[in-house]
Amino acid sequence: MPDNFESFIQQHREDFEMPGPSPRVWDALEKELTTQKRGRVVSLLQKNWFKAAVIIVLLANAGALFYFAKHKQHQQQELAVISPEMQEAKAYYTTRIDEKLKLINAYPAEELGLDSAARKELELRNDTYKALEKELKNNPGNERIRAALVRYYQLKLDLLDKILEELQAKRVTPGHTKKQYEAEI
Amino acid sequence: MKASATNLNQTQIAENVVDRCKKGDVRAFRELYDAYAGAMYNICLRMTNNVSDAEDTLQEAFIQVHRNIGKLEREQSVSAWIKRIVVNHCLNTLRKKKVYFEEVDEVEVMTEDGIDEAQFTWTVAAVKSAIHGLPQGYRTVLNLYLFEEYSHREIADMLGITESTAKTQYMRAKEKVRQIVKQQNVTR
Repeated sequence: MPDNFESFIQQHREDFEMPGPSPRVWDALEKELTTQKRGRVVSLLQKNWFKAAVIIVLLANAGALFYFAKHKQHQQQELAVISPEMQEAKAYYTTRIDEKLKLINAYPAEELGLDSAARKELELRNDTYKALEKELKNNPGNERIRAALVRYYQLKLDLLDKILEELQAKRVTPGHTKKQYEAEI
Repeated sequence: MKASATNLNQTQIAENVVDRCKKGDVRAFRELYDAYAGAMYNICLRMTNNVSDAEDTLQEAFIQVHRNIGKLEREQSVSAWIKRIVVNHCLNTLRKKKVYFEEVDEVEVMTEDGIDEAQFTWTVAAVKSAIHGLPQGYRTVLNLYLFEEYSHREIADMLGITESTAKTQYMRAKEKVRQIVKQQNVTR
């Protein structure tokens, strides 16, 4: 049974209440909730970063493969349709240039005396080639561009031949692998 | 738990507010906060005994409410659920301040010291002041029983003490308040 004190509290319960908290409590709370929300997204990403990275790489690869497949098909069709004889010339020179590049690449880098940028330049599909090919697509009937592209193939072949001749003049045979060469010096 | 506090009984919160809170709607959470912040702040104020701790505790408790609102079931009382979170936070704040709720020997609590309650005037200000001046342990038990309306059993569970200790602490706290108010009456 409530005594006087307890009865008094029950009767005046409302009078013991104070006004509510200051607005800064909500302000701080709201700030905290926003951080919490952001933090959750970041931590989710942190937890699954490896999965996310794999997915991104897979998507990028799939996208690149799709693009290149489409692009290559489109390019071949275009060149074959626009200029069948240029397609033939391309096939011929590409094969020969590849053969010579293979021979050259069999030599040790030290013997070639070319840095990686220069070696890259020897390859067929360098910037000059890409620019010429693009021009030909844009102007399929332009004889000067066709001639320039053929001339480019020939120059490239001549250059590769010259390098091979010089290597042979030094009496270094393509059979010399990098290991053998290093053993000799 | 005994009946909810008067002001909480008056608080009506639409069911859809809680549903919206569960979906992360900050505006709904603001509605929930507005409905309960006043009553909850008063609990914090009574328990921590100062404005700064009360506001900090209230903020922390509502962060907890926000985090766990998804666990609140439809049939549960929203006010009782929030109140329990707030009370737990208040007790944690007190524990951080090294307030211990120790067991006491079961001794007879002196209730009669010749005080004739009919002779002195109870006022809200006098009682508030007396409670404010109580040792933290006594004040906690008294607040939980008298103002937050938890049973001795519930208080014992919250504080990790026996039910009889909770009861004894309450009796002592009440006696202390009576003595302080009497003293105030005498000196008036």
